[in-house]
Amino acid sequence: MSEAAQSHAGSTKPFVAMGKPFAPKDEAALRESLKRCSPSTFEAAVQFSKTGNPEHLPAVVIGIIERFVEPDLRTKLKDADDDLRLIEDLGIDSLTMMEIVILVEEVLQMSINNDELRNLRTVGDVKTFIDCKVRGLELPKPTKFLPIEQIAAVMPIQPPFLFLNEASVSSSGANGKYKITGQEFFLQGHFKDNPVMPASIMLEALGQLAVLFLLEGATTEPGKVISPTTIFFTGCEGVRAHRVCRPGDILTLSIKPKRMKMPLATFEGAIRVGQEKAAIAEEITMTFGFAEATHHQPVPANAAAGGVNGSAAGHSPAPQRTAVNA
Amino acid sequence: MPRVFITGLGFITSIGNDRASVTRSLRELRHGFELYPPFQDASIPVKVAAPVRGFSMDSTDCEDWAFPAPYSIKREVLRGMAPHGVYAWCAMLQAVADAKLTDADVSNPETGLYAASGGSPFLMGHMLQRMHEVGVMRCSPLGIVASISGTVQFNLVAHFKIKGSSCGFASACASSSHALGFAYDDLALGRQKRMFVVGAEDGNLDAILPFAGMRALSLQKDPDLASRPFDVARDGFVGTGGGVVIVMETEEEVARRGATPYCEVLGWGQSSDGHNVAISHPDGHGLRAAMENALRATGTRSEDVDYVNAHATSTPIGDTSEAKALKAIFATPGARPAVSSTKSLTGHGLSLAGAMESGFCALAIRDGFMPGSAHITRLDPACEGLNIIRSTLPAQPHLVLNNVSGFGGANVSLVFKKAS
Repeated sequence: MSEAAQSHAGSTKPFVAMGKPFAPKDEAALRESLKRCSPSTFEAAVQFSKTGNPEHLPAVVIGIIERFVEPDLRTKLKDADDDLRLIEDLGIDSLTMMEIVILVEEVLQMSINNDELRNLRTVGDVKTFIDCKVRGLELPKPTKFLPIEQIAAVMPIQPPFLFLNEASVSSSGANGKYKITGQEFFLQGHFKDNPVMPASIMLEALGQLAVLFLLEGATTEPGKVISPTTIFFTGCEGVRAHRVCRPGDILTLSIKPKRMKMPLATFEGAIRVGQEKAAIAEEITMTFGFAEATHHQPVPANAAAGGVNGSAAGHSPAPQRTAVNA
Repeated sequence: MPRVFITGLGFITSIGNDRASVTRSLRELRHGFELYPPFQDASIPVKVAAPVRGFSMDSTDCEDWAFPAPYSIKREVLRGMAPHGVYAWCAMLQAVADAKLTDADVSNPETGLYAASGGSPFLMGHMLQRMHEVGVMRCSPLGIVASISGTVQFNLVAHFKIKGSSCGFASACASSSHALGFAYDDLALGRQKRMFVVGAEDGNLDAILPFAGMRALSLQKDPDLASRPFDVARDGFVGTGGGVVIVMETEEEVARRGATPYCEVLGWGQSSDGHNVAISHPDGHGLRAAMENALRATGTRSEDVDYVNAHATSTPIGDTSEAKALKAIFATPGARPAVSSTKSLTGHGLSLAGAMESGFCALAIRDGFMPGSAHITRLDPACEGLNIIRSTLPAQPHLVLNNVSGFGGANVSLVFKKAS
């Protein structure tokens, strides 16, 4: 293990774990490294080491994360979706994240540098990241977390018609939250003495999240950015409301791009309240247009982690954590 | 200046892991020595040590460690700790409970913590070896925090949410007495109302055996004979580890909380030999000056001292040096305190020694006994004239002196008094 680790240390190239045959001593080393992980984690790591098949990676990575999570929080990982957050939901601090990385490096024979680490906020981020590293693919843009101030700064839509309190945007989609306060102006009439969030406004909120994705997450042509003044709703398909939403409910919104070809972008969207399905839209389509990027030089994908966000609005990047306070 | 009292104690030592068993060991002169398994290799000339019992921390992986009931420590806390951090943690829990402190008493801007340890050569050695073998990026992110000198206060201050003064002291075997002395100053000067004083050491092979290189350890193979301070046949000290915590409070806090103190801390003195990096001054000049300073600072006459807990580690040179210093201080007619070295029972705890033996003095004053100096068969003629007690006296000392000496010739003498 040490030879491979040393020869690879410091390299930024992704490691393809198919160099030499998997020997019994490699298996013994793997067993020792993963001695506090579940047997299925070890099995997946052995299979990955033998075959190099990335299908085994999620089991390895989730198994390693699980080993570092406090026992009473581990159930969350059992049926976790990719949005499960490492810090907020699993109690993993930056030092534990480093321990996870060290073990992942050891088991998968790769090296990961600190800058890459900073952007991993969810279980999905980690899985995607490891997958890209092993396959030698370019890393996706990091998930960006936007509080209401930043959302309002970039969006063409403004209060009182903005229905997002917070959002996270990655290259694969966007998630957001909106709490129905009961003070929304339209609830006075919708309905008489019976405030219910209009389904049309719920669809609007999904549309707004799609706008935010276009501005903050979408990959555009070099030198171009999507102009906030060019985005408009064009149509939707398969919209269904499943649950009545009232003041006090927190809407959890998510959208994922299905197709994107200038000047049209089509998304699928869903809203949950807690674990309950509230509404879905099979397709929401927007039209959009480009503007010349004037603020930023094009940067290589790896360097983008530092926070150049490609938006003409030019707000500051999200604050980043440092692990140590020495 | 406000008076200062000891109101809580916690012990993880070779002679007991709580106050009651430590007291029994001191009264009955039960020692903590054994043929230490890691020393039984033929290449190791030293055979005896005084390990802490009930804890299993031989692995460099803290998740393999096991502790006696009722102690349990979460992984995220443990990963920044050395073995002696665990001892100190357990002693801290005891001391907080013993002093009946609330969370608010522990965590506020007027409560601080001073600690002393030599760090963890065991974990440091492991980390450096791993760094050279597999690269620094595969080393534990908290390896430094767990192993460098200072690890005790990093951990205790963070996890017990200490908000007042905190730092560590590094004067080898004088360290935790320095910590206690400066904690006393902070309380007497009104800077703090309450101080925790912590001494701790790993006391394992990596912490003890290097002292064999300087020929300071006893090569005795009989655990009953290895540590015998003041005996003519003594041949070096026996290593030990553990953790001791002392709670010190101002009289105002003692009154406010209605606490029952063990004793009063009257004050202290220190002095340096200015002589040799590792060897005590042959005539005990520095230690004598430290005791003079302590007596002067506290307005104490030498004839008022009832008991001296000596530093005497069972090394040929060190014990003689201290005997000469004691004879000089107690030359006054009527000055004939009982003298003993409890290292005859515990072994030498290095940075732990000062806090551990101050804790013993506090027990002796409150419970009314003076522990004997065990294992003396034939008293060294150089010690004749001193009242070295070979068995425990069932009498309450009213005024007690506790001595330590460390590398570089650092000497500290602390003065404790029956609370009134």
